[in-house]
Amino acid sequence: MGRPETIDAPADVSPQVVLRVDQLQAGYGRKQVVFDVDLTVREGEIVGVLGHNGSGKTTTIRTILGLNPVIGGRIEFKGRDATRSSSRNNVKAGMAMIPSERFVFADLSVDDNLLLGAANDPDPERRARRLQLVRDLFPILVERAGQSAGTMSGGQQRMVSLGTALMASPTLLMLDEPSLGLAPAVVHQIFDTVRRLADEEGLAVLLLEQNVGQALRIVDRVYVMRSGRVILEESADEMRNRDSYWELF
Amino acid sequence: MILAVDAETLRQLTVDGFFRGCSYGLLGVGFALILGVTGRFHFAYGFTYTFAAYMAFTFTFRVDLPFWPSAVLGVLVAAVVGAAIERLVYRPLAANAGPTALLAVFVAALGLGIAGDNLVRLFWGSETQAYFGPTKKAYHVWDTVFLNFDVWQAASGIVITILLALTLRYSALGRRIKATRVNPDLARTIGIDADSTYVICFFLGTICAGVAAIWYALKFTVDPAMGSSPIIYAFVVAFLAGTARSPIRVFITGVLVALIEQYSSIWLSVRWTQTAVFVVLVGYLTVLAVRSSAFAARFRRPIMRA
Amino acid sequence: MELWLNYLDQVLIYATLALSLNLLLGYAGQVSVAHASFGAIGGYAMGYLSLTHNWNFLFGTVIGMALAFVIGSIVALPALKLTVEYLILLTLAVSSVILGLLIATPSMGGTFGLIGLPTANLFGWHLREPHDWVLPSLVAMLIVYAICHRIGESPTGRVLKGIREDPISTQALGKNVFGYKVAVFGISSALAAFAGALLAAWLQLATPSVYGFAFALTIFAIVIFGGMGNLTGTVLGAAVVVLLEPVLRRVVKIEAARASIVQLIVYGLALAVLMRVRPQGALPEGFSIWRWLRGERARRHRIEMVEGWVPKSIGVHERAQAEGVDDVSDEIDRHRKWLDAPVVLETSGVGKRFGGIVAANDLHIELRRGTIAALVGPNGAGKTTVFNLLTGAIAPDAGSVKLNGEELVGLNPAQVARKGLVRSFQDVRLFNRLSCLQNVMMAVQHQAGENFATLAFAHRRVVAVEEKTRTAAMDWLGFVGMTDFADVPAGALSYGQTKLVSLARVLATEAEVLLLDEPASGIDTRWVDTILDLIETVREQGRTVCVVEHNLHVVGRLADHTYFMELGEITAAGTIAELTNTPRLAEAYFGTS
Repeated sequence: MGRPETIDAPADVSPQVVLRVDQLQAGYGRKQVVFDVDLTVREGEIVGVLGHNGSGKTTTIRTILGLNPVIGGRIEFKGRDATRSSSRNNVKAGMAMIPSERFVFADLSVDDNLLLGAANDPDPERRARRLQLVRDLFPILVERAGQSAGTMSGGQQRMVSLGTALMASPTLLMLDEPSLGLAPAVVHQIFDTVRRLADEEGLAVLLLEQNVGQALRIVDRVYVMRSGRVILEESADEMRNRDSYWELF
Repeated sequence: MILAVDAETLRQLTVDGFFRGCSYGLLGVGFALILGVTGRFHFAYGFTYTFAAYMAFTFTFRVDLPFWPSAVLGVLVAAVVGAAIERLVYRPLAANAGPTALLAVFVAALGLGIAGDNLVRLFWGSETQAYFGPTKKAYHVWDTVFLNFDVWQAASGIVITILLALTLRYSALGRRIKATRVNPDLARTIGIDADSTYVICFFLGTICAGVAAIWYALKFTVDPAMGSSPIIYAFVVAFLAGTARSPIRVFITGVLVALIEQYSSIWLSVRWTQTAVFVVLVGYLTVLAVRSSAFAARFRRPIMRA
Repeated sequence: MELWLNYLDQVLIYATLALSLNLLLGYAGQVSVAHASFGAIGGYAMGYLSLTHNWNFLFGTVIGMALAFVIGSIVALPALKLTVEYLILLTLAVSSVILGLLIATPSMGGTFGLIGLPTANLFGWHLREPHDWVLPSLVAMLIVYAICHRIGESPTGRVLKGIREDPISTQALGKNVFGYKVAVFGISSALAAFAGALLAAWLQLATPSVYGFAFALTIFAIVIFGGMGNLTGTVLGAAVVVLLEPVLRRVVKIEAARASIVQLIVYGLALAVLMRVRPQGALPEGFSIWRWLRGERARRHRIEMVEGWVPKSIGVHERAQAEGVDDVSDEIDRHRKWLDAPVVLETSGVGKRFGGIVAANDLHIELRRGTIAALVGPNGAGKTTVFNLLTGAIAPDAGSVKLNGEELVGLNPAQVARKGLVRSFQDVRLFNRLSCLQNVMMAVQHQAGENFATLAFAHRRVVAVEEKTRTAAMDWLGFVGMTDFADVPAGALSYGQTKLVSLARVLATEAEVLLLDEPASGIDTRWVDTILDLIETVREQGRTVCVVEHNLHVVGRLADHTYFMELGEITAAGTIAELTNTPRLAEAYFGTS
């Protein structure tokens, strides 16, 4: 095992491709940190992006969302070109991202956090429906509605952040290391919720993880990144069957 | 040291301090809202204060509007100018300057303040002018004296502060403002428009300055340099309270600063009182510096992570 | 004519004060709006002593300068730890206190100040008319210019600029940031007092309004206009700001009262516009009119050169990347070398808690001469914290760190660096506005010119040492293959290049032990080999290296010994092959089970 290999994406023009990233180059100013990245995410699919710290995962999704400038390449979201669109427009169009750190508004109450997620939705009825959905997913958030998000446990904060993202009715959810600092049981619970959302609502998910074991429980397909490049793409089963992951990191 | 005053004087000092403090508090509330949310070192705040008074003055004496409508219009026009400064000057400048945005905005704000004060001079003249609005009335309560303007000033200050606190606490706009203040990076990530939030904060903050200016003008006069002392107090109060704190806390800090100033005149000659406030401030900053690790966590925005 | 000479005097005196501010604001990056009040200290001291004790104004000036030096240094103490907005607030408060005290002191004339000061007597020459003042104020301005230039354009100035750009990385190179800040605050305040005394002698009065907030802003504006960090620019700025009013009045023929108003409007708006179109000021840092007049245009750094540049691999080892992990024989070899090597740095029982969180617990780490050790572990294991603990950036709660038997716990990062333990940073932290060469020169130790006293009295030595420093720095830049970029500002480099320069900078300290925080992360694959080759060469030169790295290929190739960290503890150590063959560590790293 050793040579990085790439599998050609199936020759699909099927409508369910939510995100297609083509030869993305990105970075900060002249400091390029992402090179030639190709990614595809389909409806209802959870795609893992694995790799060590500093491998360019975070920069990739920040660029997809429009928080970092694109140096080269193309981003297509739901069939439309989203290469240069602002983060605000991307969020309106259905992208959501949860960063790996500082992912809640710590001084604000749980309810305020959730409502902020729907800030761009003018329809109060839909907002109420989404709020109900989020509360059904995470009943603990009803109990803690008035509590400052910053005073909650790590797992509960993750739930708040997931709820906030879901309030905007996203079609694509990008999660940056959601397992960081959480006990395995909590990670299980959160990941199971994400899997259910993908299966039941058709949510497309891009899951960035260093925690390969946890990620492999729910992903359909993985990319591995190193030094700003995708060095491998394979199915979750192929990945699970590997003896060791050391050589990928 | 012996308390060298009688109870009557002490009461009067307290009353004076309270009313003066309502003005400081309101100025601080507006400045803290601007600085806390946007991080812009808006030194031209003093100019918008002056400008509000002069606009109201103009509406009353040149356009012949009654006092109340002119006051409201004057404050609103100034608030629009405040918002325009953010939109047209600070925003492009900060985008251009990157990591040195704070200093660049500070310098530009100084420049605007100087230019603004002198434009006022150019159009309205350098001399102080009396603003005859509603009739001045004095009340004598419990051996103390104060004016109807004092009461209005306190009432408007308290009402505005509470309204702002309620807005921040319960409305969608308030959530947006707080989100931008607490975690600007996450706010952008979830699609909140920080730019328009900034403009709104400048509008609201300038209203606070404008209202304070109207009462000052009625109690005393309008003059082109009337904003130079309020900006300093706005500054001091906002920083002492903490720019990310609730308006109510900032307001109370303003009242306390004024009370310190008033009480210090018991022991110190009147010309020392302002100095006393600054000595307190230097002491406070020194304490902050000593406990700087805790303080950095409290005030500094986290550096955006790559 | 006399009138214009009067303006010329004013330009020179304002320039003198603004120069003193530029030393602080432009070079050291410390924002102060208190400089007018330090001028007041000089002016009042001089005025008071000449009025009441008939002292010559020169003696009074010296007293004022000494006073301002002391007060300025004291102000610097809290200022050391404050961010820009608080520094503005602090200096504003300090200047209000100084002026408030002067106003409130009856012997200082109260609100009226000291008026009717005697004519200045310069060794028997009475300075009465504007033309009398031209020469003395020119000389005064030139003296202050020379002092600021001497400090600013010397190795000391380089350190000051380093503090401006990044105090943490300046300290990590062994510079006493604290001392420099206090000294520069003090010197700059004393020079301000000198200018303030000159102003008072010229006006024959020292009043609160002369040194008021408006004057403070004018001085600040002069520095900004001329360009922070450019002394010639400051003189130019003074001329523009001071002469604006008379030009408006006499040339554009605006009536006197309006002219002073229009002047302020023009320069206020100009400040705002300047920040938008040319934030570096009229003359940017490093721009020299003299060189420009001689036709030497600043070399334009061709961006395409920066972007298209590929590192020259120095080819110490040509090895395929993928081999690293499996290369067992080499590993055993290297491990044997590790076992034989003498211990240079040893930590025992080092621990640190933040509140309830254990950031590091009972760390035992050895670094051995001529070898590379690596620190690996999952995210958040506390690897960078270890570097912070070793270098004194965070004080450990318990344990000891010994470098060649000498205890390092209790020392600050600068002292640790001077002992021979130097770190690099994950986010590189170069001094962006300084050239690559200056970045590396900053790292060279034992520089005579970094000492204010040597700077003042031993010019020849400073020049000689500076030449040596330059040669050494060029050598290190050459070592990493960046000679061509010596004059390019570090901020213009690509990410991979900044990593190379940062490596050169660490090496130039000649420190025995190097801690490299992710030396190869975030850069293009083709750069990784270059950096690894360089680090291997450094090992062969007998230095001791420790790397924190997430890329296990890098670790596999470099490390002679690897420590595995989890949740602030070292849970395993050995060769990378030993570690990767331990199932439990795979679980910890990948969360598999």
